[in-house]
Amino acid sequence: MMSERIIRYSIWIYLGIFFAYLLGPLVIMSITAFNSPTFPRATPWECLTFEWFSALFQDQRILNGIKNSIIVGLGTVILSVSMGLAGALMLTQIWPKLRATYYTIIIAPILIPGVVLGISTLVFWDRINRMLGLGADSFLSNGLFLTIIGQSTFIASYCLLVLVARLQRYDLALTEAALDLGASHAQAFRKILLPFMRPAIASAAVLAFLASFENYNTTTFTFGEYPTLTIELAQKVRYGITPAISALAFIIVALTVFFALINESKIKRKEQVMEARKNATVAELSKGVKVPGFLSGNPAAIVLVLFCIGSVAVVGTATAYSPDQCIARVKEQKQIEAEERIKELRRKRDADNLKKFKGVFDPDEISPEEEEAPKQDNNSGFGGVFDPNALSGDDDAQDGSDASGGDESGNNSGFGGVFDPNNLNSD
Amino acid sequence: MPGFLKEFFNRNGMGMGLTILGLVLFWTVGLIILPQLSMLDFSFRPNLPPPEIGGPKDVYTLENYKYLIFGPEGGSQDYNVVDLKVFYRTLIAAVFVTIFNLILCYPIAYYLGQTKGNHIRIFALMLIIPYWINEILRAFALRIIFGESGVLNTVLMGLGVFDTPFDFVRNDIALYAGLGYAYILLMIFPIYNVIESLDRNQIEAARDMGASWWRIHRRVVIPYAKPGISSGCTMVFMLSAGALAAPQILGGPSSLWFTQLIYQQFNDNSDWPQGAAYAVVLLVTCILLVLLAMRLFKVNMGDIGK
Repeated sequence: MMSERIIRYSIWIYLGIFFAYLLGPLVIMSITAFNSPTFPRATPWECLTFEWFSALFQDQRILNGIKNSIIVGLGTVILSVSMGLAGALMLTQIWPKLRATYYTIIIAPILIPGVVLGISTLVFWDRINRMLGLGADSFLSNGLFLTIIGQSTFIASYCLLVLVARLQRYDLALTEAALDLGASHAQAFRKILLPFMRPAIASAAVLAFLASFENYNTTTFTFGEYPTLTIELAQKVRYGITPAISALAFIIVALTVFFALINESKIKRKEQVMEARKNATVAELSKGVKVPGFLSGNPAAIVLVLFCIGSVAVVGTATAYSPDQCIARVKEQKQIEAEERIKELRRKRDADNLKKFKGVFDPDEISPEEEEAPKQDNNSGFGGVFDPNALSGDDDAQDGSDASGGDESGNNSGFGGVFDPNNLNSD
Repeated sequence: MPGFLKEFFNRNGMGMGLTILGLVLFWTVGLIILPQLSMLDFSFRPNLPPPEIGGPKDVYTLENYKYLIFGPEGGSQDYNVVDLKVFYRTLIAAVFVTIFNLILCYPIAYYLGQTKGNHIRIFALMLIIPYWINEILRAFALRIIFGESGVLNTVLMGLGVFDTPFDFVRNDIALYAGLGYAYILLMIFPIYNVIESLDRNQIEAARDMGASWWRIHRRVVIPYAKPGISSGCTMVFMLSAGALAAPQILGGPSSLWFTQLIYQQFNDNSDWPQGAAYAVVLLVTCILLVLLAMRLFKVNMGDIGK
């Protein structure tokens, strides 16, 4: 089947392009964190360096931003998970006629642009603040408070979606049984519902923290005097970028991959244990099932171990390695290159001038196809004034203009180098 | 006490019931409804220094909306050409970003939804990882690639496609790539969720009856995936029209996004009512456009967010 094979190949090519678009930028950014030029670039590769990491850890503003981000993140997690849970419980019990309206209201913040949420939060709490007659430094206009409130508005909706999915599988009879057995409502909630919801609450909390940590659109209006990491990063990126930001990105990428691998290998491990239990006899079960080793048949775990070894090795080399020599060498090389280029230019110019001289003093030696140009040169009047070489400042250009000036004065010509084709494209 | 509330408290107990009700009311009324109304109200007021707020000058006015359409009073032009152009451009660009994302993501979502196997988990992980990384850093990564001495220019010049570096930033290619990149996940997941539940037998049946793959998608898969497609498109459109970080970092010096105008009104001009008016215009226009598109493609509101 020819056509089927073509389809299969084109699917893989498409997947390749897609993931290159998705992951390529992150890989390239990570590479720039280890390259020595002060502007983040992956090409040309100059020197392996770790100085951007130390530059990152010495940046007070970044560290302060991380601190604020963590405070805001924790506040947002607490507020949005509890609001999301309350919202989810309400959704399962609300009067059916109100249900659609209620659902629209609590889902709307996901679709409202973050900028609008930020503005409305700022404007609303500013008004409350004024109505209560509080000053500009009150709690209600505090950047941390406003940011937590603003972010929770929409992050709670994310949490709600995660929590509702699990709550739908909850059997209400469990709570009723607990109540019948004499538990109070609070006890039933704490002992029955909460343990059931724990996995969903955990994922909602992680989601909320990540969403809060990376939020920019809302925070940029509400942060006040407490810029979060994202705000600091945005300001740095807008007003001049350094590879220290790449270094931070690399750390985040590495942490993300690390946690993803841990999660993945845990899931796989659980599956393996389940599998082993399924096949075990009763006797084996009572004695304890033989479970395959942690690494066997668990690619994620193997990658995880390799990843840890790799990162230890990188940190090890980072402490021992000094890029100074390489940087000095690259600098030297650049200097040599620059000198070469200057020499090249000078040589070219000398050659040009030589041609002119020849045109003036020794017409016989000009090659036939150049005959036209030097003749005009001879008839020129303005000397070297319009010679573009005279305008450029560096030394060898000075030589050039001197030379052509001498050339003009020597033969009383009319338009100087104006019509000399060499002058028009000499630079 | 109305019956509904009575039943609610009976079921949850007084303490729990009050906590739930309080949190829900705080969220819906205090964080969602009142701030939006407050912004709407604010957009109809003149820009006054704090002591004069609530004073005799603090009256409702259409000035801020007039400014968007007609520009400053006594200005040289009849209409506020600059801002209106930015507004128009933002909406058009957001539509294009949405279409681009849909075309890019539909095959991936279909593939992920209809293929079984271990590698699907890895693909899903690879999809999610970029979205655990900061929005700013994602834009920054694209800027490294699209910069004048960036990777893409180096490669293209090495291949001999261009002689001089091509300015991707000034031509807005970097911006569109960045916006598309930012919302891939939001497009893939709703479509994937729907397509995953599509019975493979339906596709097999269509194929057995001799339908070409194009016809299978047009007649079977796309109609079935419509709710997912529409919620993905809605989210991508709303979020890219309201994006701020990507245009600030990846936009050329002359290209403005409408949200950047709002940002300027707030931070550079400190004209909050004007900024609020612009925000209201953006929000209302986006919602109207989404509703219009839903009517055109015959999708219900209830299908969204599933």
